Amino acid sequence: MSAIIEMKGVSRYYQMGPTTVKAIDEVSVDISEGDFLSIIGPSGSGKSTLMNIIGCLDIPTAGTYRLAGTDISDMNRNQLAHERNRSIGFVFQTFNLLGRETALENVELPLIYAGVPPKERRERAREMLARVKLEDREDHIPNQLSGGQRQRVAIARALAGEPRIILADEPTGALDSKTGVEIMELFHELNQEGVTLIVVTHDNDLARQAKRVVQIKDGRILRDVPAEEFNL
Amino acid sequence: MKTIAFRESLKMGLRSIASNKIRSALTALGVMIGVAAVIALVALGNGAQRSVEESLESLGSNLLIVYSGEPRGASLVRRNTTNIAPTLTAADLGMIRSLGPDLVTAAAPESTATAQLKFENTNTVATVVGTGSDYPQIRNFYPIHGQFFTQIDEDTRKTVAVIGVQVYRDLFPEGMDPVGQKIRINGINHSIVGIMEEKGSSASDGSVFIPSTTYQRYISGEKDFAVINVQAAGTEIMRDLQRIIENEILRLHRLPNMDTADFYIANQLDLLSTMQGVTETFTVLLASIAAISLIVGGIGIMNIMLVSVTERTREIGVRMALGATGGDILRQFITEAVIISLIGGLVGIGLGIASSWMASRFGGMAAMVSMDSVVTAFAFAFAIGLFFGAYPAYRASKLDPIEALRYE
Repeated sequence: MSAIIEMKGVSRYYQMGPTTVKAIDEVSVDISEGDFLSIIGPSGSGKSTLMNIIGCLDIPTAGTYRLAGTDISDMNRNQLAHERNRSIGFVFQTFNLLGRETALENVELPLIYAGVPPKERRERAREMLARVKLEDREDHIPNQLSGGQRQRVAIARALAGEPRIILADEPTGALDSKTGVEIMELFHELNQEGVTLIVVTHDNDLARQAKRVVQIKDGRILRDVPAEEFNL
Repeated sequence: MKTIAFRESLKMGLRSIASNKIRSALTALGVMIGVAAVIALVALGNGAQRSVEESLESLGSNLLIVYSGEPRGASLVRRNTTNIAPTLTAADLGMIRSLGPDLVTAAAPESTATAQLKFENTNTVATVVGTGSDYPQIRNFYPIHGQFFTQIDEDTRKTVAVIGVQVYRDLFPEGMDPVGQKIRINGINHSIVGIMEEKGSSASDGSVFIPSTTYQRYISGEKDFAVINVQAAGTEIMRDLQRIIENEILRLHRLPNMDTADFYIANQLDLLSTMQGVTETFTVLLASIAAISLIVGGIGIMNIMLVSVTERTREIGVRMALGATGGDILRQFITEAVIISLIGGLVGIGLGIASSWMASRFGGMAAMVSMDSVVTAFAFAFAIGLFFGAYPAYRASKLDPIEALRYE
């Protein structure tokens, strides 16, 4: 399996007045195609910063980050936007669906920005909703859907652009435990179909459900182990 | 790099407007009122201009008026010549008439005085105008009944009179034919030979016209005229003719130049251009006031768009996370602002045309909607959406996606 993500000595510093805060410091990690990784750490550990960089929302202060062979370390805003559109599928804790748009239209969003023509867009969005078993909810707006359904719409949206990786930030954080389990099962299914997944969480039980666990503390990687070896 | 199709921006804008109908309508209202004001006020200005031109044209065509007195430039209102010592002589009139039909098609003196009129036991006070038989032609003002007095009446100092409509109404019982009746003007009997058509101005309708010779003998007792009306043979020779008459009268009066002249000439073209200047200023003033309201409308758009951008910070963050570039966000918000502005503009055009129509239909005002002002107002609405939408849209496009996604 080839590495989709190659990070070498990636650091992200913030200047807070006279002091420099090292949100992440010299992080090196490789993630292969088809992997199912969880990034775990308490709040303030730097996992959000790491996620932002992996998701091309931010660029490192130092070090190199190659996504599918492309160095994104010094891309500009527009290039980052295109990279996100092409390579990353985001799943958020609070779903972040557009409330005025139907499930189908929400799934179409990344395809609009990819310049996919309307007809093809609609077809692909339908396929994606079917993949998360919501084909009968196409015309519902988020308010008419349950939390689990909304997160499945969000996952369908993340999948729509056929990205290199799905990046999920606390994907079950706003759901009850039963629905949370369903979402994780969906992730497992997708992973078996070959989708590369990264789940960012502070929940150890959730983290253990991945194949591999990366534990972050104080901006550094504390452990990077297969899930079965991860315990407290 | 690809940018999203215009169609998509349009769809997003329409959707956002549709989901905030009242707010969008109120925002568009500002532009609507501005556009309607521009169209209606410019229409009123144009209407005023047109009616001024019409009333000047109704004075007669190709008219030069030689006035007694010191030069005062082209005056708007006809001067009260009653109190000015007349300085224009029969020789002046003869000289003008002798210029020939290539230059002058008609000339008539004009002197006025207020006099008491009496028919049987009815009295009235009217303006007596002593003039020549060419007067109707020069002033484009004809008898509606009977006829105007003739050159022979003038030459033989006949005591004949043509009365204005108002004078007829004041003196005669309704339905009575005044032609052939005698009225007393300052105690002298005059036979009525005609009634003038109605002109709508008291200066014309409240006058009695008698031959200038009769006037000189019985009314003024003077030999000179207050005014000589001249009809030029064509518009293009008016300024030349004015110069010729000026020079000739200066020579007859033995005066060196116009600075010392005891007469001056008003040219209908000058009056027209002076009036046009005035009404144009008036129109520009009205349009500027309306343009201010258009700008206020634009500020309303900017205000609402700024609120909208803040409210939708998270939506912007999500769109950016999914691959929207700053340019995509910029276009989305500008399109939205322009749509709101154009909706306001379209409704405003309808409203402006409707209110212009109502102003002329029920308000008695002259209003002329010009296609120019419609097109300009619409273009302005577009530009205002673009201009005042630009800053909020720029702010939206510069949001940091990480911050925007975190926004509560």
